[in-house]
Amino acid sequence: MADLEIKDLTVQVEDKVILKGANLTLNKGEIHALMGPNGSGKSTLANVLMGNPFYQVVKGGILYKGEDLLAMAPDARARKGLFIAFQYPVSIPGVTMSSFLRTAVSARRGYEKELIPVGEFQKLLKQKLAELPIIEPTIVGRYVNEGFSGGEKKRAEILQMAMLEPEIAIMDETDSGLDIDSVKIVAEGITRMYERANGNMGILVITHYSRILHYIKPSNVHVMFDGRIVVSGGPELAEELEAAGYEGIRSQFEVIAAEVQHEGAVKRAGKVFWVEH
Amino acid sequence: MAETGQIVEAGQLTRRAVEAISERHGEPRWMREFRLDAFEAFERLPWPTTRDEKWRRTDLSGLKVDELTPFAEAPAGPLPAGLRMTVDAFGAHSGLLVQRNSVAVHADLDGQVRERGVVLADMHQALREQPDLVREHFMRYVRPEKSKFSALHAAFWTGGTFLYVPPHVEVALPLQSYTWIDSERVSIFPHTIIVAGEGSKVTVIDGFGSLTAEYQAFADPIVELALHEGAQVRYVTMQDWGRNVWEVGIIRSALARDATLNSLLVGLGGKLVKADVESVLQGPGASSEMLGLVFGDGRQHYDIQTLQEHAAPHTTSDLLYKNAVKDRATSVFIGMIRVHPGAQKTNAFQVNRNLILSDGAKAISDPKLEIMANDLRCTHGSATSRLNEEHLFYLMSRGLTRAEAVRMVVEGFFAELFERVPLERVGAQLHVAVAAKMTE
Repeated sequence: MADLEIKDLTVQVEDKVILKGANLTLNKGEIHALMGPNGSGKSTLANVLMGNPFYQVVKGGILYKGEDLLAMAPDARARKGLFIAFQYPVSIPGVTMSSFLRTAVSARRGYEKELIPVGEFQKLLKQKLAELPIIEPTIVGRYVNEGFSGGEKKRAEILQMAMLEPEIAIMDETDSGLDIDSVKIVAEGITRMYERANGNMGILVITHYSRILHYIKPSNVHVMFDGRIVVSGGPELAEELEAAGYEGIRSQFEVIAAEVQHEGAVKRAGKVFWVEH
Repeated sequence: MAETGQIVEAGQLTRRAVEAISERHGEPRWMREFRLDAFEAFERLPWPTTRDEKWRRTDLSGLKVDELTPFAEAPAGPLPAGLRMTVDAFGAHSGLLVQRNSVAVHADLDGQVRERGVVLADMHQALREQPDLVREHFMRYVRPEKSKFSALHAAFWTGGTFLYVPPHVEVALPLQSYTWIDSERVSIFPHTIIVAGEGSKVTVIDGFGSLTAEYQAFADPIVELALHEGAQVRYVTMQDWGRNVWEVGIIRSALARDATLNSLLVGLGGKLVKADVESVLQGPGASSEMLGLVFGDGRQHYDIQTLQEHAAPHTTSDLLYKNAVKDRATSVFIGMIRVHPGAQKTNAFQVNRNLILSDGAKAISDPKLEIMANDLRCTHGSATSRLNEEHLFYLMSRGLTRAEAVRMVVEGFFAELFERVPLERVGAQLHVAVAAKMTE
């Protein structure tokens, strides 16, 4: 049983179908990269994994540790160890990071009636901040994402990830909006978290560019095109994409897209495959 | 201890009842006549209806003043647990006054503060001991004929707080006053006067609460604040009536040159609450911060009408009211900025933010301007929003249940007010009160 199993996921927003039968399997102890051009559906997949009510799943399903993930509310998913670092985290006026983090950590750790004791929380926070030198400690006194720069928002997401110690983490374009030095430091922080979890954390890195993958080494790379994962391979795939861009895949994709339209069934052109369900 | 309603029977809004109340307190002749004049005004003025502009949003037809007793003795025995908890929660104080029903039952004032000339007494005691001071200020800023309810108040007033801070005296710790309704079927009319002498400094916390009763009770309080030159007053009124209390109240402040008032009105309890909160800037350099936090649930109805009246140049008023409503509650905010001719170089700011938490809840916002000067800065804005699903999703994605996420958003909504009131205990109390509202 895989830890996260996405099967034939078809998702629409209002009347537009965004995911058209996506398949992906991820286990703890693995790092996968999900790449693809803008608008291919990567962020939609991330949001559906977390249960964003804005998206409607019309077909397919997701199993998380054998359970029906789509039947769970977002908070239940989070308490069971699923985490997403959002591409565009929203700001919550008037709510300080520290009170938010303390409430979230309490939820994740199964405190029901009360919150994790202040002392214990402070100790944990101090430890995580020490492990993530890129994060300005004063951030915890500020309102959640309010007035944060793009980079501060991304770093705040990483701090939340560190505090919540997820089992499966989805990083949605965490590298976008960060300069190259920041990408490196954030990636190192994530890698350290992953290593420290000692096989108890799986990560799905969603990215448009391969640069973050120089620092977070994936074992598997998937490429999404037009709502489907059309190529899966090893880390070399990311390097190929870096060299050739998405154009090589796009031309192969267009060839079989035309064929599938005429004939249906399973198609493969070079690396690109397509399963019509 | 006398039984409730001994000197006046229920429904007796009569001249004889006014006389009985005056006699009960051994009042001087001028006060007795003041009451009787007010009673005439009360009889003359019509009950407001929703056809009156000021009452358009608030229907009083459920208020049965004529079935309530306009004077009730304090019950015997120790303070009720709810009241004691509230008093304790606000922590250290320089002075404390407690009123139950229509009668003061406790008053203390720190000896050192007393030695410096500070007077903290219930209004009847003050009338006996400081007759000239009381006479100088009593209903000077709110006239009895202002409305049916102010006339009713002026005729039947009992209890309330009198505070006098002499010039240049600073009272370090807050002075606290609590008004508690123990009985049902009673009306109370506490009258509070705060006189802050030139260059004095004081913080006052004015609390209101009651037992939860089956039948209606009514409160018609009037608070008058007089700030002399350069006085600095922080005034917090915290209303947490039981669910069957109706209130029609007035808080009016008058600020002399360079005086500063920081006020906060908190509205949590009651069935229907109508409050006029008015600040008159009479001297150049005067500054009034008017904050409000209202949180309605169930079928509560709040109607808050504010007035920022600039009668002198170089004056500042800064108003922020945040109202949250859930279930089928309604909040009405009507805010007037009035700038007199000649009140140049005035700064007048007004912001009203409303948060609607349930489909059945309603928030009405109506800012108004009457500007008769031409050299001033004036801004006003109001915004009403519903719960933002994206915010909730974000918080829930970190493991917070929907209820926790909503509570956090609501606390965040009020946070700006907590920050602007540097009274730790008040902030803590508000957090508890807001959390309790969320679970109701």
